[in-house]
Amino acid sequence: MNIVVASGKGGTGKSMLASSLSLLFSQNWRIVACDCDVDAPNLGLWLGVTTYDSVEQISTSEKARINPEKCIGCGKCYENCFFGAIERIDSKFKVNPLLCEGCGVCKLLCPVEAIELTPVMNGEIRVKETRWGFPLVSGRLKPGETGSGKIVQELRRRAEKINHEIMILDAAAGIGCPVIASVMGCDYAVLVTEPTPSALSDLQRILEIVNHFNIPYGIILNKWDINPKASDEIAKWSGDRFLGRISYDREVVNSIVNLTPVILSESKVKDEIKEIFNRICESASL
Amino acid sequence: MTHIVASTGGKGGTGKSTFAVLLALKLSSQGRRVLLCDCDVECPNDHLLLGKELGEYKPIYRDFPKLNPQKCISCGSCSKVCRENAIFWVKGKPPIIFEDLCSGCGACWIICPKKAIETKKKLIGRIFETRVNENLWLLTGLSEPGITETGPVVKEVKKRALKVAEKINAEFLIVDTAPGTHCNVIQALLDCERAYIVTEPTPLGAHDAALILELLSLMKVPSEIVLNRSDVGDSSVIEKMAEEYNVEITIRIPYSERLLRAYSEGRLERVVDLI
Repeated sequence: MNIVVASGKGGTGKSMLASSLSLLFSQNWRIVACDCDVDAPNLGLWLGVTTYDSVEQISTSEKARINPEKCIGCGKCYENCFFGAIERIDSKFKVNPLLCEGCGVCKLLCPVEAIELTPVMNGEIRVKETRWGFPLVSGRLKPGETGSGKIVQELRRRAEKINHEIMILDAAAGIGCPVIASVMGCDYAVLVTEPTPSALSDLQRILEIVNHFNIPYGIILNKWDINPKASDEIAKWSGDRFLGRISYDREVVNSIVNLTPVILSESKVKDEIKEIFNRICESASL
Repeated sequence: MTHIVASTGGKGGTGKSTFAVLLALKLSSQGRRVLLCDCDVECPNDHLLLGKELGEYKPIYRDFPKLNPQKCISCGSCSKVCRENAIFWVKGKPPIIFEDLCSGCGACWIICPKKAIETKKKLIGRIFETRVNENLWLLTGLSEPGITETGPVVKEVKKRALKVAEKINAEFLIVDTAPGTHCNVIQALLDCERAYIVTEPTPLGAHDAALILELLSLMKVPSEIVLNRSDVGDSSVIEKMAEEYNVEITIRIPYSERLLRAYSEGRLERVVDLI
């Protein structure tokens, strides 16, 4: 069973929750935790992981390069690049590697074979047997590289090979390619929101993705007490999808400063997450 | 001449939009003409912080592949060139195109020897223009749900922003980026002359700010750090990171109930004094 934690908006508490849920699930099941936020991978920190057992450099993207000797300056590549990665310099053209997605359209169109595509090491997959008794598989996109969605796909393939009953996936913020790659094929989605107009608007955005893939889901309200009235409305709006509330507690910040999962702190948030965990088990028929 | 500055940060929820909106409100209250451009097209929120509804929009269309089975000879060329693995093909059968995975790059219709892959216009995003006050305009980009590559949406939004900035004679164009470091953020940071890295005093904030700093150094964009909720957590982790990357922490915004309230009510103009 694959359970993804997502939210649309960043900073709502996805990794905080995914780390604590991983510990709770690991008490009854063999689990593997996946940090699918390859742009800003933080699940490791919440699990107290600062070094990894293995770090593998991977390549999930290619970059085009134009040979200036061969280029005749026809501009076909420039006109057809969907990503705007080709720049005109005088009468010749040059690829901006920061924008090139390696789709290969320029190479297909070049009449004089002046364009080559070469694989780039754009990411890393790190694995750690955590001290909590389950493995963490974490992806990392190298800054300046593209292809985060494919790194997520690759890290999920690695995680699949590890013997497990439940996979917990911590998704990135947003609703673009890395998030779609994380949500696709999951059996249940835990959606985290806050009682603010921004978080609610972004929850509706991620719901479009989750509903598109027909994934059952539940909604959690984090920091509910910063706006109790709005929280009541969200809880009502969520109906039977509502999984519970988590309070705003500065102890949560102390937990991350000490690189410890919240579930092991003295915060009242601990009991709230345990209750939510029970509801997820019910809701996902575990 | 418009100064283009960005509000970014790597990690989500650190206050990128809050800072961008506060900066826009502050500059505009000083009589400067400002265009705020919300480039977090997957989850744009600046209008909510300003208490504005998004009105009419300009659509952004792109070509996507559409198979004409009458012309297809089932050769599989399209499937072989598709680097997104969005085209499934079995020998002797016409291909199946999975639009969820398609980036719209065009490789398949370029390679098809029979021109059997035709194109259809698909809405990939929308651009909204909102007048906030006498001196402040807001441009909001919004990607259509299900669009995987949102970098091209940001590219169109930025293009429009440069035009609007010229038209309204803006002194400042403030670009609010998405979290992370991938294509949508890179597109937003292009042409920016300075970036404000909004972060929080936690190991998470430090870790992710370091990643965006690496990207900004590749892009040769000078940057400075805005430390939000500066008194909650452990600011020494950010100070250490800032020293390592040789960037200054220029603005500190303490945790504030007043800010939180203004944020949830869409009335950030009440707390402009915080920056």
